[in-house]
Amino acid sequence: MSNDVVITTDAIEPTEIKPSLWTRYSSANPLMVAALALVLGLVFGAIVIATTTPVVLDAWRGMFDHWNGIPHAVFVTWNNVSAAYRDIFTGSIVDPQTFWHSLTTGKGWTASLTPLSETLTYATPLIIVSIGVGISFQTGLFNIGANGQAVVGGIGGALVGSMIKMPTFIHLPLALVGGIVGGMVCGAVPGVLKAYTGAHEVIVTLMFNYVTYAFLLYMVLSTPFQQPGQSNDISRTIYPTAVLSPLFGSSSGLRVSFGILVAVAVVIFAWWLLDRSSLGFDFRVTGANPLAARASGINAKMVVIVVFLISGGLAGLAGYVQVASTTHYIDGGFLIGDAGIGFTAITIALLGRNRPMGTVWAAILFAALGVGGRNMQALTSIPLDLATVIQSAIVLFVATPVLVKEIFRLKKAPTSLLTLSTTGWGS
Amino acid sequence: MGIVSTLLTPNEELTLKVPIARNRRTPVIGAIIVAIGLFSLFVFGLGTHAGSHSQLTFDPLNTTNAPWHAGTLTFDAHWTNISLGIVMILIGVEVLWRRPRRFVMGRFGIVSLLFLFTLLVWASRGPGPSPINFINVTSLLVGASATVMVLVFGSLSGIMCERAGVVNIAIEGQLIAGAFLGSVIASTTNNFFYAAVGGAAAGAAIGWVLAFFSLRYQTDQIIVGIVLVTMLSGLSSYLNLQVLTPYPNFNIGNTAPNLPIPLLYKIPIIGPVMFNQSGFWYAMIVLIFVVSFALFKTQYGLHVRAVGEHPRAAATVGIHVIRVRYINVVLGGAIAGLGGVAFMATQGQFQVGYTSGLGYIALAAMIFGKWRPSGSLVASIIFGLTVYLSYELVTYQVPVSLYVLQMIPYLITIAVVAGLIGRVRPPAADGQPYVPG
Repeated sequence: MSNDVVITTDAIEPTEIKPSLWTRYSSANPLMVAALALVLGLVFGAIVIATTTPVVLDAWRGMFDHWNGIPHAVFVTWNNVSAAYRDIFTGSIVDPQTFWHSLTTGKGWTASLTPLSETLTYATPLIIVSIGVGISFQTGLFNIGANGQAVVGGIGGALVGSMIKMPTFIHLPLALVGGIVGGMVCGAVPGVLKAYTGAHEVIVTLMFNYVTYAFLLYMVLSTPFQQPGQSNDISRTIYPTAVLSPLFGSSSGLRVSFGILVAVAVVIFAWWLLDRSSLGFDFRVTGANPLAARASGINAKMVVIVVFLISGGLAGLAGYVQVASTTHYIDGGFLIGDAGIGFTAITIALLGRNRPMGTVWAAILFAALGVGGRNMQALTSIPLDLATVIQSAIVLFVATPVLVKEIFRLKKAPTSLLTLSTTGWGS
Repeated sequence: MGIVSTLLTPNEELTLKVPIARNRRTPVIGAIIVAIGLFSLFVFGLGTHAGSHSQLTFDPLNTTNAPWHAGTLTFDAHWTNISLGIVMILIGVEVLWRRPRRFVMGRFGIVSLLFLFTLLVWASRGPGPSPINFINVTSLLVGASATVMVLVFGSLSGIMCERAGVVNIAIEGQLIAGAFLGSVIASTTNNFFYAAVGGAAAGAAIGWVLAFFSLRYQTDQIIVGIVLVTMLSGLSSYLNLQVLTPYPNFNIGNTAPNLPIPLLYKIPIIGPVMFNQSGFWYAMIVLIFVVSFALFKTQYGLHVRAVGEHPRAAATVGIHVIRVRYINVVLGGAIAGLGGVAFMATQGQFQVGYTSGLGYIALAAMIFGKWRPSGSLVASIIFGLTVYLSYELVTYQVPVSLYVLQMIPYLITIAVVAGLIGRVRPPAADGQPYVPG
């Protein structure tokens, strides 16, 4: 990618002194910026906790009541913030106490591995959808509708999974394809409109999200798809033959499923597409310079439509993976609100710089924040939405590397920093 | 616009392209109008039994302030819809035949209003499935006026920002922030003026954040906007659980009192809709004039538009591009924040996610109105009526799923953005970062 295209020919090499490890890590390279953006995001979240938690505010209100009021208030603030972040960590990665217990006694491995398993379970669809979003970003197309595409994909896959009876080896792939097709249909609309009428994809995909939510409610409340004998907004359960079963067997108690293999396949596909195929080259050229792309004979309309098909297809696949590895049915709240993986995907793709591997790490990080946030909500009653706030703050800083560089007084980056840009309304 | 664009070749190219594009699209619009007309004729007109009747009522629901009775109007649903369907088809045929250059979208607006009317007549017909066999025009318009108001505030905010060349996609976030803070202030002080000031300040603060990132650091404006919306919806949900749920006193949800204008509010239909509203409504009307005047009749407006069209040229004649953009984005944010308070003042209690994408629909209204306050007012009325009706038709028990109805406003927005309006021409520098020097 653009990082690799830095000129390092032999002619230049001898004159340049190889940068020391310290220079390399204290400069504003993308990894450093991402890490520091994470720090800034956590600081922002800490400020939010400190300024809104009633206990903390009460402590500060009484800071002049007692001789040690101020230290006490600081102590309470620190306690609350650190408890929140500790719960995020223990709920998403590992709880040292239970882990030590299972190491020493050899028992309770399910309990000590559950946090990590949950994180991976949440990360799996996130990885898939974010890679799709990242592909569209690299082409300069802003696919905000991944959530809607995932919803329709989930519906498509669940339709195949719950309406037809077949053996596993054909049913599961067919259901996954159903998810892909659902997402593709939903992605094709903004793609075609963008290509042929110039409608800005941001508005079209955003509006399509709302259309798909209405469609979801319509589907789960109408006869063939609704769970028979139910009047609630809940769909039929998919057959066991279309389920992505747990990776370590259903007796292990860990939910992490074979969906993770699907995610690995998607990562490989994306890497091949972007770095090894001529189509991916067309994508990247179109994203880097649309005029140059047109001048060199790349069919811009085709690129737009194909990108939206791929992006939507991956989102749809993610939607079905989500269904098939967790709930096995769809309800009216599917992917709405906290679970809106399509919106998280935007931020993940930005954090992962739209590259497959970067996206994987970013997705695991954000899944950890989400899963840990749930644990935090249960233990400290700080709402889960804090995770969303932290995530969006991280992305704001990642998208503004210059600000991060200024705050931490980093040296100039050896390579150009991320500059993702969209086009205006007209084009 | 005027002076700057004549100096530039790219813009000349653009203006040359416009008539060609418009000619290509006019027949499409004509065909759509004919299709709508045919649909009304066959489904709403011929589909109803002859002899079924609908009633139009003009009395407001709350008759205490209106000491008059406009009476009701009964008409034949069958023949009304047939004749209106034919009128729509004729308008479509006229567009197809003459290919008018002006007022095509105006005709489309008229047809869409006629279509909504035939839909209502059909839904409320006498011997029909509906329990409500009359249309209360006044209460319908009063109900829709709340949605229209939010859309007008939102699109005015968009105009302020985009005329200066900054895409403000964070309108939704500013609405949320305004509604949240407005609810808290209105509940604690019971004074909607303070709530309006607070909400506007919250919107302005978000506008400032958008300006700070996109002007100082040239971060992509759409990314900043979307991240801000995500952050604010998360933050509002967070604060709702953390603050409003344990302290319900912060979110009582009283609505703003109506301030009837003496005498005028007694006019049938127009009175309750226009002159018996909360202060936000009058503020909106004033704001439309103020924004139009400021942008198109003052030197400041000329500067703003120059900055939005060609910042470098504006800078060479001594306009401080960044400052103009800062001012406009902050002011635009304040307008959207005010819109959020206005929304809260009509809906009551703050709830998470109750703006349901109105900020984005406002953006579409702005595009539909071609970045002009007057145009976006017309667009907001059409969109507002559609959004309101899509929820209201449920009470009429239309034999269409509620959820299909709820898709309609968004589908219309997509259709609008997909260039039903012909080639839209945004301010030339819209969304482009400006690097001084």
